[in-house]
Amino acid sequence: MPETELERVSKPREAAAEPLVALLAADVLAVHSGPDEAEPDLELAGAEIATQVSRRLGDGDAGQLTVAILDRAAPEELRSSCVDLRTLLRERLASLSAGERAEVLELLDEVAAADPQDEVSLSTSRALAREGLRDPLPPSTVERDEPQGLHFDSVLALADDAFYVRGWARDGQAALRRLTTVSPEGSRIELLPGIHREPRPDVDSFYEAPTQTGPDGTGFLGYCETRSPSLLSSGWILEMENALGVGREVPGPQVSRDLLAARAAILSDLHKESGWETGLMDHVVPAVTRIQQRLEERAEIEEVFEYGEAPASPAASIVVPLYGRIDFLEHQLAQFVHDPELRESDLIYVLDSPELAAALETSAGQLFELYGLPFRVAVLSQNGGYSVANNRGASLARGKHLLLLNSDVLPDAPGWLGQLSAFYEETEGIGALGPKLLFEDDTLQHAGIRFQRPPGGGAWENEHYFKGLHRGLPAANVTRRVPAVSGACLMIERELFEDLDGLRGMYVQGDYEDTDLCLRLRERDLDTWYLPEVELYHLEGQSYALETRTAMSRYNVWLHTRLWDSEIEAAMAATE
Amino acid sequence: MTGKPKILYVSHNHPTIRPGGAEAYAYELYRAVRDGDEFEPLFLARTGPPVSISSRYHEGTLLTGVNEDPNQYFFYTDTLEYDWLNGTPRGKPALIKYLREFLLAQQPDVVHLQHTLFFGYDMLRELRNTLGDEVPILYTLHEFLPICHRNGQLVRTTTEKPCREESPRRCHECFPEVSPQAFFMRKRFIQSQMSVVDRFLAPSSFLRDRFVDWGLPAEKVVFEEYGRLPVEAAQTRERRQRNRLAFFGQLSYFKGVNVLLRAMKRLQEDGVDVHLSVHGANLELQPDDFRSEFDELLEATKDTVSFEGEFNHDDLPTLMADADWVVVPSVWWENSPLVIQEAGQHRRPVIASDIGGMAEKVHDGVSGLHFRANDPASLAETIRRAVSTRKLWEELQRQIDPPYAMDEHVRSLTRHYKELMASKLEDELVTPPAPATEIEGVRYA
Repeated sequence: MPETELERVSKPREAAAEPLVALLAADVLAVHSGPDEAEPDLELAGAEIATQVSRRLGDGDAGQLTVAILDRAAPEELRSSCVDLRTLLRERLASLSAGERAEVLELLDEVAAADPQDEVSLSTSRALAREGLRDPLPPSTVERDEPQGLHFDSVLALADDAFYVRGWARDGQAALRRLTTVSPEGSRIELLPGIHREPRPDVDSFYEAPTQTGPDGTGFLGYCETRSPSLLSSGWILEMENALGVGREVPGPQVSRDLLAARAAILSDLHKESGWETGLMDHVVPAVTRIQQRLEERAEIEEVFEYGEAPASPAASIVVPLYGRIDFLEHQLAQFVHDPELRESDLIYVLDSPELAAALETSAGQLFELYGLPFRVAVLSQNGGYSVANNRGASLARGKHLLLLNSDVLPDAPGWLGQLSAFYEETEGIGALGPKLLFEDDTLQHAGIRFQRPPGGGAWENEHYFKGLHRGLPAANVTRRVPAVSGACLMIERELFEDLDGLRGMYVQGDYEDTDLCLRLRERDLDTWYLPEVELYHLEGQSYALETRTAMSRYNVWLHTRLWDSEIEAAMAATE
Repeated sequence: MTGKPKILYVSHNHPTIRPGGAEAYAYELYRAVRDGDEFEPLFLARTGPPVSISSRYHEGTLLTGVNEDPNQYFFYTDTLEYDWLNGTPRGKPALIKYLREFLLAQQPDVVHLQHTLFFGYDMLRELRNTLGDEVPILYTLHEFLPICHRNGQLVRTTTEKPCREESPRRCHECFPEVSPQAFFMRKRFIQSQMSVVDRFLAPSSFLRDRFVDWGLPAEKVVFEEYGRLPVEAAQTRERRQRNRLAFFGQLSYFKGVNVLLRAMKRLQEDGVDVHLSVHGANLELQPDDFRSEFDELLEATKDTVSFEGEFNHDDLPTLMADADWVVVPSVWWENSPLVIQEAGQHRRPVIASDIGGMAEKVHDGVSGLHFRANDPASLAETIRRAVSTRKLWEELQRQIDPPYAMDEHVRSLTRHYKELMASKLEDELVTPPAPATEIEGVRYA
């Protein structure tokens, strides 16, 4: 919307400067305002800023000048002296040497990093300071006979201080000495040597002179962090400098902030890789982990609906994430209703598709009327994924035992929950317990999980024992310890689950969190057991499209092996 | 208040809205029980789209009366939000509010369902929850809808052959757009609802066996044929040759009318002296290829076949009087076809397919003749034998059993009702009512 005349006139022009000063002040105040001091002493703060700046910049002209500005940052004078950041920068700091100006920017970044804020106005001020203080390098132009070439393809924001960048840099004259991205706020990230390099034959063949940038490849991509938060969507810069001191820079693209799109793009990069040990995983793992953390933080329990009276001290709590297919609720209730034990249990559904909240609320109330089985429904504020939904549900649980159950699992006969609880209770050193799971045609979907790596090495993959064989197979009817069990129906003691902080959310969309949990239990010398006399149906594969799963699976399996290679080796040795 | 136990009959339609075999039978049963002095019957007939334009009659209720009879009600339900795969309404207010209020107001002592179609299978759950464990629930199985998603036809979409064995995999083959897992859930869902029923009544042993194979506990499913109200048998004219055939039924693929016409074509080509009258309707509802085949065959057999179109049930004695044999050539199993009972009432031997309910109700060489289902050559041969074998017609006619009479049927049902009421009472005395009693016999594996 265009700015109205009134807004333009009434907007205080000094507003832009305030957060900058306030930030510096806050940094110092953090030292001075103890719990007893309700009113921070701003005068003292001003003096402290001056001391700090002076200490950091030394006694040179820059230091003196900065001190002069900041020394006057007493409350009354603050506003008048900082009326306009642009003026302030021009009048007070422009005359400094390039090195000193860089140091001032560095200081600002450091101070901002010490007390991260998510205020766009602060970022705007810092961007203004960056433009006022930095010396731009000559711009890079993409031409065949130009020795230096530089391009900044994309910046994916994963968090305020975490980014996934992609571009290319080449030099026909000399080796690259430095490749640097600068955030709009002025945070500088040195990409070399850590960034992942990849060949860009398309770029190389465009140029006349062969590249001198080394064998690593012209392209770069990877995860990086800014020291202080970066919130602005435009203003990124990519700089390069070669061994001869020739520098170039290019502006960056608009920042993309869609986490799910970023995750899909980052995971699709793994297509280029052949194994879990490769260098790109060093970038993909932290990047996806940050995304998963963000998704997890966003997915809080927004509402809990209670239907009927949940038992006060249930033996077991059942946590069932609902994703997309809320009609599974009806199918489960229509089976649970036969089982008196289910009336005594603490049944918790967690809606991980917030857009279906209204529909589920209506349906759940009606289904409770029809089936009379008490249950609760927790609605997440955002889609958080399998592990988050389970963890949030578990946080509401009251039972001694916790049963993680998929919504597409249906019991074969009543009594199953009590059998699981009883076995868990009487088995010493047990960590996790899983039953037999069946396909709809009475063949085995799950009889415990083992790990297998392809011949010649590679990542460990989860294999279900005896998959596709008949449910009556004698070998599948042995109660025993197994390396892991499926999270589609997994019992664990609630306190133990809490102590482990639940399922880990670094895996993408419901895969490997269960074996990860079992391996973490194994680290604590707790066993995972398979109990074949309890049988349920797992009608898997009705929720996700196959293609999206492939990219995710590749990532999950590689991550899982990175984390657990030696533990898996030991678990398998103990089994065979 | 009469003081007599109340029997609630539930039907998926009222025969005054649209005629149909199961609803006509249900209504006759209701009236027969009403005319007796043991029980006070109630008749709750579902209506609404597609049989009526409107999905409710009054504001704020789904009920309205049928006529001056205080014990007959219409219950309007909508089909817009109906899950046809699982046979359940997506929203439950019709059940948990409107049906519940009706049940609480009427307090039936026995519920005898003729159908749950358009209400949803979960009306059973509502009946059980609201009426409690002490009220017996009986359910007459009129067709195979719970077993087969293809309108209960039990004919495969892949081959158009009768199906004897359902499974998630096979159902998925018939409906590739529905996953095997969804079929599994459908079956478990329907069986869950049906588990609250105390007794299923099967009008044919064939149907009974199919449902027991499917998973209903054998001890809960009993054979009980449809009762027929008495009618005066049609006239039997003296004729030298018994060569007049009649077909009564829907003009659809499943009823096998084209198999019959193909047989007639062969007989005409062979110069056999035989005539067929085809009485049936709903040709316009059939798929194009079926209709064009029907039209072609009719044209090719115009010397020996006359197409009479839709018939009025009241005219049946007249139409039967004109026929010697009734042909029932269905290519699907059938349950207990009404037309076989009617042929029996009018004492006409039946030529029927040798499968399912037809094979069961027509005794080959005793009260009629069998031919290989869906085989025009076999049917032509059987007809040739029927019309050309001296004294065969008379012999078969003599051996036709009289149809099961309605009053006998009502006496049998009365025994079922009383027995179940007594055993419920016993249960209540022996064990305190527990929500778990309905698990009995629910293990499907």
